[in-house]
Amino acid sequence: MDLLEVNGLVKRYGGIVALGGVDFSARAGEVHALLGENGAGKSTLIQILAGAVRHDGGRIRLDGADYAPVNPDEARARGIAAVFQELSLVPDLTVEQNIWFRREPLSRLGTVRGKALRARTLALLDRYGFPHLAPEQEVRRLTLAERQIVEIAKGLASDPKILILDEATSTLPAREAEWVLNLTRQLAGEGRLVVFISHRMGEVRHIADRLTIFRNGETVAAHEANAVSDDVIVSQMLGRKLARLYPERRATATGRLALEVEHLTVGKRVHDVSFALREGEVLGVGGLQGHGQRELFQGLFGAARVKGRLAIWGKPVAINSPRQALTGRDGLALVPEDRRGQGLLLSKSVRENLTVAVIRRFARRGLLSQRKEAALVKEMVDFLRIKAATAEQPAGTLSGGNQQKVVFGKMLLTQARILMLYDPTRGVDVGTKGEIFQLMRDLAAQGYAILFYSSDLPELVHVADRVLVMRNGAIATTLEGDANTEEGILRAAVFEKQAA
Amino acid sequence: MSERGVNMSSMTADSGIDRPPSARPARPAMDLRALLLDHAPFLVACLMLVVIVAVYGSLQSGVFSLDELNLDTTATLTLLLAATGQTIVLMRGGIDLSIGGMVSFGTVLAATRFGGDPGSVILWSAIILAIGFAVGAVNGLLISTLKLQPFLITLATWSILSGASLIVLPTDGGQVPAWWQDFGSAAWLGLASPVWLLILLLVLWYWFRSTRLGIAIKATGSNERSAFLSGVSLTRINLVTYGLSGLFAAAAALYLTTQTGAGSPTIGKDYILPSVAAAVIGGVSLFGGRGSLAGTAVGAFILTIIGNLVFVLHISSYWQPVAQGVILLIAVLASSLAEKAARGQDQ
Repeated sequence: MDLLEVNGLVKRYGGIVALGGVDFSARAGEVHALLGENGAGKSTLIQILAGAVRHDGGRIRLDGADYAPVNPDEARARGIAAVFQELSLVPDLTVEQNIWFRREPLSRLGTVRGKALRARTLALLDRYGFPHLAPEQEVRRLTLAERQIVEIAKGLASDPKILILDEATSTLPAREAEWVLNLTRQLAGEGRLVVFISHRMGEVRHIADRLTIFRNGETVAAHEANAVSDDVIVSQMLGRKLARLYPERRATATGRLALEVEHLTVGKRVHDVSFALREGEVLGVGGLQGHGQRELFQGLFGAARVKGRLAIWGKPVAINSPRQALTGRDGLALVPEDRRGQGLLLSKSVRENLTVAVIRRFARRGLLSQRKEAALVKEMVDFLRIKAATAEQPAGTLSGGNQQKVVFGKMLLTQARILMLYDPTRGVDVGTKGEIFQLMRDLAAQGYAILFYSSDLPELVHVADRVLVMRNGAIATTLEGDANTEEGILRAAVFEKQAA
Repeated sequence: MSERGVNMSSMTADSGIDRPPSARPARPAMDLRALLLDHAPFLVACLMLVVIVAVYGSLQSGVFSLDELNLDTTATLTLLLAATGQTIVLMRGGIDLSIGGMVSFGTVLAATRFGGDPGSVILWSAIILAIGFAVGAVNGLLISTLKLQPFLITLATWSILSGASLIVLPTDGGQVPAWWQDFGSAAWLGLASPVWLLILLLVLWYWFRSTRLGIAIKATGSNERSAFLSGVSLTRINLVTYGLSGLFAAAAALYLTTQTGAGSPTIGKDYILPSVAAAVIGGVSLFGGRGSLAGTAVGAFILTIIGNLVFVLHISSYWQPVAQGVILLIAVLASSLAEKAARGQDQ
């Protein structure tokens, strides 16, 4: 008998069917991957399993007994812990307070026993070989990657029979991601069930025993992982043959310089970087995470203290003026790293998110021209194929891929022709990834200049015209043409001596 | 990895999955600078208090004595009791304006209901405290169920309580027993009873903040969604935090009657914004999740002693709010600069 059995699970949000009769079963002691595009129903399923959302129909059996948790507490009590993409940590509590939140060891006076808390924390971190974490540090001081790791520790603290990992590796650097993958095998070895969601097929291939594929709120198929090919998986996820993920890349760069950067230094993380971005070019930025790419983007966008010289479309600009103020055709537009935090107002509608940066264009003597706004919003929704019930739907209720499209739309509406994309496909499903790459090449062909950071090597190789590889805050090398390969980027990123 | 057909494999998955994760060099968990920055608002408040007391002491003899401590504590305690409730609510990320109404209501009830015998005083003290908690709990429930801003809900209950106070006692007056008014002058080991009350309050705080409830309140103020996802009941948290705030407002009212000997239906408004100011000067964040009662106490003392200072300088008492405003600005500036510096350090 399987540990977890889901039969005909139904969940509706208003008129939208999120799950239309999903079947799923998984055994103790296995790593079970859930695959599907964003919006296929994976997230809804795990939210129901974790007690964050209640289902409308169907049946779940856990260890042979009916299971219908009313809140996350009940799910945890029954042995299911979920590590969500939406992090559930409290910024002002310490790492150890977060891990054991509401399960703290108490003294007779009802106070938390600090020493016992520390001992438990260290034992937990030690048992699973966690990357270094300081238990006494406040979570608000941690990086996104460190928070993700604390979140995993929190999930494990309740000693669950079933651990659900939702995109747990997408924010992690290579070494930590690898640790998570090893961890899933360790947990399965201990007889637990790990339900694993990732858009990185390579990871799934390495660790999953079985996989279940979802599409449009329904179960398509379940496979033994070693008995199915990638082609079958992808075609089942998409419901059609994937033409190709990466678009055709024609050289569209002109001689005109969009962005000239000379001797740029940003804080202590970027030293003396010089490069030029041309009209019609997609310029990749690569390298291991944390080697100054984030600070380079922040510096160029004017969100950090910088030194150096900068020219935009041939005109020198004051290096310390905020570039956010540069709007219109001569400006810069950014797709930020944290789209849920910085890119979108989640509670606001798709329409408001799209036009918030350009609202003045619809205003006549202080009054908004709603007709003009609506027309432009519709155009952008159609152009980007944003899947939303109406333009008034809150952005937070869209799938990850569609949220990212809204961020793109917002950026395009500023009419800026220099686009800075920071990891624009992170946590985005493969179908939408393909659309984003196509969009990037199309925009380049129209004369846009695009600076593109990605943590995914094949993306840089297949989408960018040239790739700047950063190491220790400087440009290690620039790869172009035949030299632009995954191996080339990795070598330049890792080795002190350039192998390219 | 391109032989896998579709190129979806990521670099991370394929860059050596079989290698064991190697240990990262441990970084210093928390250096002195981070520690100082974390407590900067509180430290700045302490510094301001030291400076103000030093100036006061240079102008007035006998400032550095137990008598002065007793006097200042006696004068500060009403504000501090009100600010204690406010601190709890601010930690949770809310605000409570209704304490103004509750302080007034508490004093008029005490001044009109206290009989001469201790039994009646104790009974009515308990009733007033219970009303304080109940009114606060209703605030909390309304905030949770109506999903409205605490500012609006507590503004409404402030108005209701103010009206109720005027109905009970239209003008300042009434009376409490003489022995009740002697509370502040009772002393033990040279310390007046308000000082002992202050010590008790601080001890209770250090107990409370490390209970599960205390941590849950801080967590809810820090990030409501995260706390909820971790299983915290927001309704219960609101009920308790605003309930405690009402309870402390009622306690402030009872203490105030030991000082004034009478009830006043309008006196409470003098404690609304100062209770917020005392907390903020002491480093409590208006956005929730950060702060301590020690900080609030320092803030309350600053606000009181500034009044003394204005008095001994023989300048118009109208300068007192000006000076208090300047101090509030310094405090806010200090915490915002510290926050920026801390952020800069992380990046």
